[in-house]
Amino acid sequence: MTNHYMPMKTRRGCRLQAWGSVLLLLVGLALTACSSVDCPLNNSVYANYKLMGPVSTLTDTLTISTSRADSNDSVLINHQVNTDSFSLPMSYGHDVDELYLQVNSLIDTIWVEKTNKPHFESVDCGVAYFHTLQRVRYTRHALDSIVINHKDVNYDATKKHFYVYFKEYRF
Amino acid sequence: MAAPVAQAQSSRSKAEWEKMRQKQIDDSIPLFRGVQVMVDLIGPIQRAVSAYGQYEAGVRVNLKDKYFPVVEVGYGEADHTDDVTQNSYKTSAPYGKLGVDFNIMKNKHDDNRVYAGLRYACTYFKCDIDHAPITDPVWGGETPFSAHGVKANYHWMEVLAGVDAKIAGPLRLGWTVRYRRRVHYDNGLMDNVWYVPGYGKQGSSRISGTFNIIYEF
Repeated sequence: MTNHYMPMKTRRGCRLQAWGSVLLLLVGLALTACSSVDCPLNNSVYANYKLMGPVSTLTDTLTISTSRADSNDSVLINHQVNTDSFSLPMSYGHDVDELYLQVNSLIDTIWVEKTNKPHFESVDCGVAYFHTLQRVRYTRHALDSIVINHKDVNYDATKKHFYVYFKEYRF
Repeated sequence: MAAPVAQAQSSRSKAEWEKMRQKQIDDSIPLFRGVQVMVDLIGPIQRAVSAYGQYEAGVRVNLKDKYFPVVEVGYGEADHTDDVTQNSYKTSAPYGKLGVDFNIMKNKHDDNRVYAGLRYACTYFKCDIDHAPITDPVWGGETPFSAHGVKANYHWMEVLAGVDAKIAGPLRLGWTVRYRRRVHYDNGLMDNVWYVPGYGKQGSSRISGTFNIIYEF
């Protein structure tokens, strides 16, 4: 004997179908509400210096340091040779960063004046300080000059913020 | 040969008759057909189960069963501290949306409706961003990182598709799926905001939705 049972669309069945659709919708919306964490890949803030002029590569030994709040020195670059560019961190809260640049026995002091702006990316990401360069001053023993090329220091590591000109003849 | 021709004529006349009937209804009904008051259920659920969400209600005017000018207002809020980054974000502010829905059903006067619509939305809000003071690894010392009452604003457009269906008497249920696009914004002093009232999280999916309980007058 064959079964000739045919499913009938009852009112209860329709209601179940309606609630099913509602549930499906809620699940769908909950899924679309999900998102990934989009923090920038480069999350360090460094000022980039590029050597320009006749000394575009410094063959002498280069050491750069700064003085900390506790009066101790902190070495940022130690005895680097064949330097054509370098990157240095910037202080979070100081209006002026004082850097000591030593080329062999010659020591120059650089004062970088800047603003400090707290940068918020997202609740999920780390925080940082961005800076706007305002002025640069320096002594001229090994250095000839330093000029600001790009004043905004932020996550963009491709920008060269300073052009550094060393004296061709350093004694 | 004669049978298919007769059938085609019959179906054509049926379509024409239906078109005429629709036109007659269109001509006979008034411009103003009623008002719908609707409340969204997704936003409050989102607020209850997560760190952010919004309460939204709207009024939709029925013109000729075809055009539905809409005003939606809401109140969005967020209060969240990330356990890993220790960043805190807090905001609460109203927002508004203005737009129109078009009934795209073939039979405009049916109890159920299918909509395509547009919204222009905006919010002006303030947020508090907090983080413990940061220790400078090179220079030493701590630098504060907090900002309260950061002013920001967002303007955005939404394109939506939705349905609503008569449940019982004046009570209806409906939902919309929306694609939103930022048109103008000011993130304020801290460069970014996290949750924008009515818009949602920055950088999250551009798709959102509502599930509405609707009362039709």
